[in-house]
Amino acid sequence: MDRRAFRAEHWRGNGHGMTELVRLTDITKVYQGGVTGALNGVSLTVETGEFTAVMGPSGSGKSTLLNLIAGLDRPTSGNVSVGGTDLGRLSESGLARFRRDRIGFIFQFFHLLPNLTALENVLIPAQLRGRTAGDAAGRKLLSQLGIADIADRYPARLSGGQQQRVAIARALINQPALLLADEPTGALDTSSGEQVMALLAELHDEGQTIVLVTHDAKLATRHAARVISITDGRVVDDVRLETAERKAADVIRVRGEEMMR
Amino acid sequence: MHTRHAYCVCVDQNLSLKYGVLGLLAEEPLHGYEVKNRFEAMLGGTWEVNIGQIYTTLQRLERDGLVRPVGERGDRGKLQYELSESGRNAVETWLGEPDSGPQQLHEDIYVKLLLATRLVNGDLRPLLARQKRAYLQRLRDLNQLEDRARKDGRHDLARLVRGALLHTEADIKWIDELSERSIGGGTGTE
Repeated sequence: MDRRAFRAEHWRGNGHGMTELVRLTDITKVYQGGVTGALNGVSLTVETGEFTAVMGPSGSGKSTLLNLIAGLDRPTSGNVSVGGTDLGRLSESGLARFRRDRIGFIFQFFHLLPNLTALENVLIPAQLRGRTAGDAAGRKLLSQLGIADIADRYPARLSGGQQQRVAIARALINQPALLLADEPTGALDTSSGEQVMALLAELHDEGQTIVLVTHDAKLATRHAARVISITDGRVVDDVRLETAERKAADVIRVRGEEMMR
Repeated sequence: MHTRHAYCVCVDQNLSLKYGVLGLLAEEPLHGYEVKNRFEAMLGGTWEVNIGQIYTTLQRLERDGLVRPVGERGDRGKLQYELSESGRNAVETWLGEPDSGPQQLHEDIYVKLLLATRLVNGDLRPLLARQKRAYLQRLRDLNQLEDRARKDGRHDLARLVRGALLHTEADIKWIDELSERSIGGGTGTE
């Protein structure tokens, strides 16, 4: 999609180095009264165009990490920079603008406003930006996500999979540099979950940078070529998987020679 | 013990090859090479057998009265086999029985873990971390294989790959659990 190619150019032209989009430097996050979700010395970078999965048990800090990248929360110490912008230097309103213009976020439980239609939900971020683009862009996005027909329905009348697609459309309406997804299939049945993941994969193919938090290793490795593992607030592994297709016999042996050795 | 283990495995392998061959002959009479090709195609390349194994299997099945040759040897000495009545019964009985053999743990990692517990004083974390990477890579490869099987319309094969995916997922959960407990030394027998 041209608009994404344009966006990638835009970021590259921003003078912040090669294709790095996110940089976390020595992040700690301490929560009062507990260690759940805390982070303890996390440093990593995410490149433009990457599809990264962040995995870890519940309470390991993986959602905290996502919230810090999104500017939804601030670290106790350390530095978060996205697209060359040091989030620590932004005021609260600056941070709100950053989230609105550059971050798309999808949640496990969709977080749609129940008293607005699907289309109205999708248009919220654009309206907050003061755009008059309006219906056409929103409807186009819904149609690209395969749910043009439900544009005028209220969330209560939609299936989980439909609600998540609406949430994805809402996340994309301002053409964010970075799409963050926190357990986006966690509340969906297997088949809807697979459809949502297939949509994310398509967006990635079109150039969208995505960071996905999940505890499902099958999903993580299906589309993301990079897997970061977090345990107890630390990055314990960060691997880029090989993506070349392999011969069936090199992947599975059904009682083959191997057992004869 | 090693010999006994190897022996058990061989018996097992011959068992599913035996019933694989019988099952294919239940569809129609075939000669040795056709059996080999159909068997490998059915398994989607996940099990390659040599023609010698097929002939040996067919001879044993003939000896046991489960298959019989059809007519005379044809051109280039090809001989077709068909299922006998007792062969058909054997396939049906086998299909109806659940697979209730012992859990197969034939991968190196199980023995490695036991030995590493003794040899490196219980710090298994580096071993576990490397193993997890290997399992993640396998998951990715299996995902691709499943996609390919679906695209090719091989839903039977996709089901088999799905089983392998879920097994590998369980392996990862196992590694995660071991890592979380960051196991101390000892053999766990005390």
